[in-house]
Amino acid sequence: MCGIIGYTGDDDALPILADGLENLEYRGYDSAGVALRRTGSVDVYKCAGEISALRERLPDASDATTGVGHTRWSTHGEPTDANAHPHTDEAGEVAVVHNGIIENYDELKSALESRGHEFESETDTEVVPHLIEEELDDGRALPVAVDRVVDQLSGSFALGVVSEGFDGLVAVRQDSPLVVGLSDTGSFIASDVTAFIEHTREVCYPEDGDRIVLTDDGVDIENDGERVERPSERVEWEAEAAEKGGYDHYMLKEIHEQPQSLRQTVSGRIDEMAGDVDLDLDLPAEYLDSVEEVQLVACGTSYHAALYAKRLLEELADVRASVEIASEYEFGGGRDPWRTLVVAVTQSGETADTLSAMRQASRAGARTLAVTNTVGSTAAREADHALYIRAGPEIGVAATKTFSSQVATLSLLTVYLGRRRGDLSRERAQTLLENLRGFPGAIQRLLDEEDTLREVAAEYADGDAFFFLGRRLGTPVALEGALKLKEIAYVHAEGFAAGELKHGPLALVTPETPVLAVLTKGSNPEATLNNVKEVESRGAPVIGFSSHEAGEKYLDTVVAVPELGLLEPLVANVGMQLFAYYVADGMGRAIDKPRNLAKSVTVE
Amino acid sequence: MKAVVLVAGEGTRLRPLTRSRPKPMLPVANRPLLEHVVESVHEAGIDEFVFVVGYERERIQNHFGDGDQWDIDIEYAVQEKQLGTGHALLQAEPYVDGAFVALNGDRIVDPSAVTRVVETRRTVENSVMAVTRVDDPADYGVVAFEGERAVSITEKPPAHGVTTNVINAGIYGLDRSMFDDLRGAEADGELGITTPLRAHAARGDLETVRFDGLWLDVSHLWDLISVNGTVLDRFEGERAPSASVHRDATVVGPVALGADVRVRPNATVLPGTALGNNVDIGANAVVSNAVVMPDARIGDGAVLRDCIVGENAAVGPNTTIEGGEADVVVDGVVHEDVRLGGVVGDNSDIGGAVTVEPGSVLGNGTRVESGSTVDGTIEDDATVRRG
Repeated sequence: MCGIIGYTGDDDALPILADGLENLEYRGYDSAGVALRRTGSVDVYKCAGEISALRERLPDASDATTGVGHTRWSTHGEPTDANAHPHTDEAGEVAVVHNGIIENYDELKSALESRGHEFESETDTEVVPHLIEEELDDGRALPVAVDRVVDQLSGSFALGVVSEGFDGLVAVRQDSPLVVGLSDTGSFIASDVTAFIEHTREVCYPEDGDRIVLTDDGVDIENDGERVERPSERVEWEAEAAEKGGYDHYMLKEIHEQPQSLRQTVSGRIDEMAGDVDLDLDLPAEYLDSVEEVQLVACGTSYHAALYAKRLLEELADVRASVEIASEYEFGGGRDPWRTLVVAVTQSGETADTLSAMRQASRAGARTLAVTNTVGSTAAREADHALYIRAGPEIGVAATKTFSSQVATLSLLTVYLGRRRGDLSRERAQTLLENLRGFPGAIQRLLDEEDTLREVAAEYADGDAFFFLGRRLGTPVALEGALKLKEIAYVHAEGFAAGELKHGPLALVTPETPVLAVLTKGSNPEATLNNVKEVESRGAPVIGFSSHEAGEKYLDTVVAVPELGLLEPLVANVGMQLFAYYVADGMGRAIDKPRNLAKSVTVE
Repeated sequence: MKAVVLVAGEGTRLRPLTRSRPKPMLPVANRPLLEHVVESVHEAGIDEFVFVVGYERERIQNHFGDGDQWDIDIEYAVQEKQLGTGHALLQAEPYVDGAFVALNGDRIVDPSAVTRVVETRRTVENSVMAVTRVDDPADYGVVAFEGERAVSITEKPPAHGVTTNVINAGIYGLDRSMFDDLRGAEADGELGITTPLRAHAARGDLETVRFDGLWLDVSHLWDLISVNGTVLDRFEGERAPSASVHRDATVVGPVALGADVRVRPNATVLPGTALGNNVDIGANAVVSNAVVMPDARIGDGAVLRDCIVGENAAVGPNTTIEGGEADVVVDGVVHEDVRLGGVVGDNSDIGGAVTVEPGSVLGNGTRVESGSTVDGTIEDDATVRRG
């Protein structure tokens, strides 16, 4: 998982690349570098560490108007100066940035070494500049050289290449994200629009196998030797949304944005009077009737959103639903692919594990639906159908608003399926839709209790470990609450189905292990209260997220959750997000960039 | 020139509405007061802003972000404790150089007032202050003149002491020397911007700019209804494309309809009304001259006149807020014959067939049982039972 950026045009490339890398830092941040191409030289600056460390090594100014940049999250080789991108050939005439994995680099490297090439890094990427060098030495122009090298590579990659002898930039997309930006004063490539959105909103999305040449004359795209046109689109994101707007961290900003982002998620999609939704999906009626199982595949936070949706689908839409961790997925026996709808849930739309599961389902003959935040992402383009969660860009590595929007979107999908299959009454659909309408207001109420959560976090922050309990719809929220705390505070946290507590984990509970319990509608609070009593009698402090007053005497702290039917556990989740944030903040953690983690994981 | 906008205070007289949002975020024609201020300042040619935020600052930051949506740049300075407007201005010191404009973020002003302060400041070295005339000057800083020259500013003078209705309009043209003046000022309690300006006036070197244009302040709850109406009258309200009005419903402008508003069959929405995002108006309901904040739900057949309904509040079917004038007590002071049908606080839940007497103020999170009659002021989170 890495981020790449490239620019060629009229302006100085250095500030564009450096600022762009900062906007891409969420994709990886253990090392970074840029290559500036001037006539007669390619200057490379790179080092281990965050972009701020790179900035210290960069010159104040450079007259180069073409260059590439990279921010890295290690897959092959440790984060060191040598392993940082861009990589070059021996002569330093070619510089390459790469996101993805070159699977056959071992054999390519051995072959190159036997031909006398010397390598400086342990990365898979470094074979590319050496291979290009050989082609250039044979007198080929850079675009042709890149074509011939790409033919030898297998794996997934997006590449950006500059060379001394070519006035421009060459890029390739193969199974890794790449977007091209177009403007009057130059052209851009990047792993994500956020890298250059301050400069242009005109973009086009290359497809797999595309080779892109960016020069003063514009952008030329070829696929398999044929010139192709990729339609340009305008990105409607507010660039503002990619900046922190007065908050200390993106994560806190994004937690607070949830009322707005959820309004956006459901806007124009709900018809309460009819008890129906308008999702702009064209699944044929006869197919919907025939579906026997909805299989959700996802990773991390998206997996928890899928667990929530499974319950809703079974309870409201009366369709069998299952959830698979994408990296564990295989299209198993016992199901008819033609009667299985596979729903891939991925915020970025680029999560490699999820894409791979989706492709497997597709090969098995199942229909696929991508639920994602990113228009034009690989998942959205490859799936048979796409449904957008419309949460706006999320920069914090720990997913917050996108979790809420994912579940809201999957709730809409539940109504869609239930109503079309005839298993969901208008009345029950109306109740869920009213709850969705009330979701932003309910979250705002919890956000207004922020001070309470800040105090609770300060009080319990030094716990040895944290346990999160819930039942039914509260279980995925307990898992998600624990994941947030692990991700950003680096403390031990576990989420359990509350009933499982007595089957083992209870042995871990001590007065030094705070317990957070979901006690709302939809999470069988009466039963969970029995588990709360179990931990309370062992001295553990208990923080209850509760929508009714029963059992308060067993709770050390009560966070009131407004009434919202089956969505109450999701409102409790926002409280847990704030709890995790303030625990981590109190510890001085790098909240937006937790160690070892990257925003969208594009390696399997 | 940069503009420093002071938006750190709560606006306690506007409770319960300011319990969860600062006064500048109160909606007028569906947009925060502060957004109207920002637009006026921007129209006067300023695109660099410093917001001094404090109380409930997340609300402001969420709405404005870094300002791109308005083509402006916003930097945020934080006033941790609300110790007066002068103290607030001091927090902006690291963000400004040279001359700047400072103003309150909760009063709607005509762009020309800002333009004239900027222009005047460019021609003089002294501090500049805009003044305007109001009917009821006792709530403001009253400015006394000798000829053309301002000689004194008296904050909230007793009614019998008011000799003029010219007041400080809260728009200033200043430079960095103001920060030294503020630091040197002796203040007991809160430090106001006018503390040093009073000294300038006494020395005879305070420039004033008089203007008679639009200047709207929301001092009291009922002002929100009238200011909302005035702004709708002058500028027409926006109707979001995603707002849906049933074909058998009636909407008579000027009204503002936010995103995803639903107006159900036979409901009637009458002039002077702003319905915030995601508001639901039930079948046969009548809403007139009202400010309804986002996510509120109005039941079938309810009648709401001259009132404010808070965020995410629910009003049950056939509940009536009849509207009209009443005597309202705020902080022990009786305000006679003000037009206020009632206020329903955020997240309140009003049952069906409830009667709300004119002038009632229901706190946030109140619950009112069906069939009750409510009068007077109800505390936050109280429950009103049918008696």
